[in-house]
Amino acid sequence: MASTASALIPCGQFKTEYRKDTTIFPTPMSRGFAIAAVLLLCIAPLQIGGVELLSPYQLNILIQIGYYGIAALGLNILVGFTGQISLGHAAFFGFGAFASAWLNNDFGVPVFWAIPLAGLMTTVVGMLFGIPAARIKGLYLAIATFAAQFILEDFFARADWFTGGSSGTIAQSFSIFGFAITGDRQYFYVVLAYMVVLFLLGANLLRSRDGRAFVAVRDHYLSAEIMGINLTKYRVLSFGVAAFYAGVGGALFGHYLSFVSAESFTILLSIQFLGMIIIGGLGSVMGTLMGTAFMVLLPEVVQAFSQTAGNVFPALTDGIAFLKEGAIGLAIVLFLIFEPDGLAHRWKMIKAYWKLYPFSY
Amino acid sequence: MKPTVLAAAAAALAFGAGTAFAADPVFVGHLVDYTGPTSDVGKPYGQGVADALAYINKSGGVAGRQLKFETVDYSYNAPRAISLYKKWVGTDKAVAIQGWGTADTEALVGFQAADKVPNFSASYSGHLTDPAGKGPKGSKPAPYNFFYGPSYSDGCRALVQWAAEDAKKKGIDKPKFVHLGDNHPYPNAPKEGCAAYATELGFQVMPPIQYSLKPGDFKAQCLSLKDSGAHYAFLANTGGSTISLLKSCETVGVSTQFLANVWGMDENALRTAGDAADGVMFVVGGADWKSDAPGMKTVREISKISDASGNEYRPVHYMRGICSAFYMRDAMAAASKMDGGITGPNIKAAMEQMKDHVPAELEGVCIPSTWTAEDHRGTTKVFIYRANSKGGEQSISKAGEAEIPRKAEWLGW
Repeated sequence: MASTASALIPCGQFKTEYRKDTTIFPTPMSRGFAIAAVLLLCIAPLQIGGVELLSPYQLNILIQIGYYGIAALGLNILVGFTGQISLGHAAFFGFGAFASAWLNNDFGVPVFWAIPLAGLMTTVVGMLFGIPAARIKGLYLAIATFAAQFILEDFFARADWFTGGSSGTIAQSFSIFGFAITGDRQYFYVVLAYMVVLFLLGANLLRSRDGRAFVAVRDHYLSAEIMGINLTKYRVLSFGVAAFYAGVGGALFGHYLSFVSAESFTILLSIQFLGMIIIGGLGSVMGTLMGTAFMVLLPEVVQAFSQTAGNVFPALTDGIAFLKEGAIGLAIVLFLIFEPDGLAHRWKMIKAYWKLYPFSY
Repeated sequence: MKPTVLAAAAAALAFGAGTAFAADPVFVGHLVDYTGPTSDVGKPYGQGVADALAYINKSGGVAGRQLKFETVDYSYNAPRAISLYKKWVGTDKAVAIQGWGTADTEALVGFQAADKVPNFSASYSGHLTDPAGKGPKGSKPAPYNFFYGPSYSDGCRALVQWAAEDAKKKGIDKPKFVHLGDNHPYPNAPKEGCAAYATELGFQVMPPIQYSLKPGDFKAQCLSLKDSGAHYAFLANTGGSTISLLKSCETVGVSTQFLANVWGMDENALRTAGDAADGVMFVVGGADWKSDAPGMKTVREISKISDASGNEYRPVHYMRGICSAFYMRDAMAAASKMDGGITGPNIKAAMEQMKDHVPAELEGVCIPSTWTAEDHRGTTKVFIYRANSKGGEQSISKAGEAEIPRKAEWLGW
């Protein structure tokens, strides 16, 4: 798990203080780019003179990347930073969605508050299911978290009072100061705001004492324990943090779709979350976002491609569904072979190449 | 995954006259399950709707306007249906939806009421029949929901009626009745209403048994069924899982008389299940392919849209798909003469004015149906069919008809 940012800091950059070594952004340039990207996203949904900068379809994709990205970052904190594993992330994502709808429908909590509260509720559930991590690790832990997936999925289909049972439940639109946000163009900002805040929090977490403890638990748990890190506490805490992110992501998903049903949160989604962080780069905050974008865009790109191919070779049309699944599988396999450190690593290599051009070494 | 059918474009090229005075095409979203757990029955039904819509375009469209429809396979995933619906209504300005499953249709009820977009669903859930929400069993208003055919509850009630008579003939005192189905909105829809009716007719209703919509090994369920000693079992799932169940129960040696929902048995399922399906009684909501009703001539023309040879045998669901599309067409045609033309509220109004209506070309294929502003039970007439299979010879035969009373207390239930 190559994760340390320092491994690839180009030569010529020297840090003389620890403080400078632990800034959120490694260089002023990268900070500038991040701010510019957020500003660019701020104008993305606008319509200027009747011309849409982004089509509703593109906007929908970006919103998807947003809520999945938030949940994936949680999983990356658990897997990439703390070295644990979870096959139940989709269930936490679902729990957040149901919890937010439930708080809003049954108790009249405004959606604005229901989303973070749902995140906190999911944290509790996540910590509960994370308790086995205190004792077991590796494959055994994977199977223990698998249980969380099944228990929660079944709970969703049966708990009528909480989830509406197998029929699912309606989630109201997001509203702020009595102003209902219904369209994608407005909801985009809600997701963007959550994303910026939660990604900054995630990046900051790693600069904190608790974040360093997570990494220590991952790198060598025995040494970590000898140094005085409470393993149980940090493993369970990591599950809690991961579940919080999943819960908030799920709540955003629920209020975006305005309908939550148990069938959205299957084991397949859990595996997809793992795919996002492995492809993006374990232990990389920006990588999480890249991996999520990759996983969300890949089926769309393959679909567009296969549709074009289908027009040229009509015989292909029937096989599009298969092509799509096949291409996704292939892309993941190729990724693991040729880029085991993820997109984040590839991005660093590209940056390093241009920074040192033409005298790369 | 998303075969976009722009039949409108093709038809417009071939029949320029139809578009000569036509304004924009009328957009209809068409939701199908070709790859999900209900795909076994989703394919013939979806094909029926798609062929019928293409045929309507070929015959000049609706009031001179072509239908533009997008057929999307959502794999029976309700959330995916919701996001598609949002796209159809938001971007494509759909005026109506040809829907599919109960989970997604029931989830969309509120959205469609707010957007005023009618849904002609393939879900016949009794919950969708109460437009004003006045049903005494606490049903929620579903003003923009329509479907062609008897509701699941009425279908089940018809089978229970049949079972009561059968039990009398066989001299079974206090026969036992059980509901089998997945924990999913579709199999759950008729559960309570039908059980209440069975109790009323003197059945002893046993606790329901759950079997997944996804085909699998259901011997455990069959053993529970055997142990319960039930005389009559209502199968509430679709054909795919019902085949597995019938096969498993044959292995285990269950002697229960099976009764299947309208989606639970058809010619394909019978062929696959073979002798295990012999004697299953099931609901049919229209003509079957071998019928000699006058409207079948049109049906065979429609069938040629996707099968030029005209040889393909179409299961019973195909005809109901066609009926669903034609009732929508007739409502659109009537709506085009109203103020505002073909809009959601006008289609609803036109539907609610239909009385014992059968689309002109489909005489004898679709059951005459009536919708009113207070009652969306289009028809309460149920055809009961028997599946026959003996040593490789298979057929379906009509065993009777039932007219379920249109009771006010059964509205939305």
